[in-house]
Amino acid sequence: MQGSGSSDEELDSLLRAYREESPDPEPGAGFMPGLWRRIESRQRAVLSFDRMVRGFVTAAAALAIAIGAYVALPRTAPPVSGESYLEALAEANTLDTPENVGPVRLDLNEPSR
Amino acid sequence: MLVEFELIRRAQQGDSEAFNKVVLAYRKRVLGTVGRLIARTEDVEDVAQEVFLRLYFSLDQLRAPEVFEPWLYRLTVNAAYDYLRKHRRRPEYRMSDLTEQQVMMADAAAGGRVERDASQQRKVREAVDSLLGAVSEADRILLLMKEVEGLSLRELEKIYRVKENALKVRLFRARQRVLKAFEAAEQKRQNG
Repeated sequence: MQGSGSSDEELDSLLRAYREESPDPEPGAGFMPGLWRRIESRQRAVLSFDRMVRGFVTAAAALAIAIGAYVALPRTAPPVSGESYLEALAEANTLDTPENVGPVRLDLNEPSR
Repeated sequence: MLVEFELIRRAQQGDSEAFNKVVLAYRKRVLGTVGRLIARTEDVEDVAQEVFLRLYFSLDQLRAPEVFEPWLYRLTVNAAYDYLRKHRRRPEYRMSDLTEQQVMMADAAAGGRVERDASQQRKVREAVDSLLGAVSEADRILLLMKEVEGLSLRELEKIYRVKENALKVRLFRARQRVLKAFEAAEQKRQNG
C-alpha cells in the first residue's frame, strides 16, 4: 500500500469491479403477477378501512341525532310553584294554625311544681 | 428516461396499462439497485415489488413527470433502507476480519488484475459488502448510490432533498471510513 491517493484509486477500482460483478438481474416470471396481487390486496385493505370509517361516521351521526331528539323532546315536568322557598315555608307553617295561635289555657287548680 | 412523459401522465391518471408499461421499463433497473443496496438476493424481488407498490399508491403526488426518475430512486432507497432496518442481519465485520483469500481477491479486483469466474465474482461482492460494513446503513446506501450506481451529486440532491454541500461532507466521511478499513486490511495482509 503506497499512499492515501493510491488507496483511493484502488478503492475506486474495487467499487467498479463490484458494479461489474453485480449486473441488474432479470426479473422472475412471477414478478408482475405478484406485484398486481399486492396492489389489489392493498386496495382491498384500503377499501375495507374506508368502509369501516364510513360505517363509524354514519353510526356516530345517527347517535348524535338520537341524543339531540331525546334532549329536544318536550317532557311533562312536575308543576313548578312560583313561590319562593320562604313563601312556601310560611305557607306550610302558617301562624294562623290553631296549635300556634290558640288561647293559652291555664289551669289554676293544678298544683305548682 | 426509459419511458415517455405521456406514459407517466397516463399512469398518474390511473391508467393501469400505462402503469404496467412503466414497471416493465424500470423493473430491471430497480431490481439491480435494490440487489446492490440490500445485498441479499433472496429478498430482492420482494423489495422491488414494494418499491412499485409504493409508486402505484403515491404516483398522484408526483408533481411533474420530469422528476419521475429521482422520485423512483427515492422510493427505492427508502424501501431498501426500511428493509435493512427490519432485517438487521447485515454482516458487521470489517475488511480486517476477512480471510486472506478474500483480501487478496479484493486487492486483485481493485488492481483489475484478475479474470473472474462465478466464485471469484461472489468473493468480490462479499469483500465490498464487508468493507461497507464500516459505515452505517444510511451512509452505505448513500455511498453505493454515488460510487456504484453512478448518480451525480445533483441527482442525489434531488433524491435526498439535502443540500449538495451536506451530501459532499457525508460522502467524504463515509468514504474515509471505508478507505481506512481497506487500508487496515491491506496492512494486515502485508504484515501477515
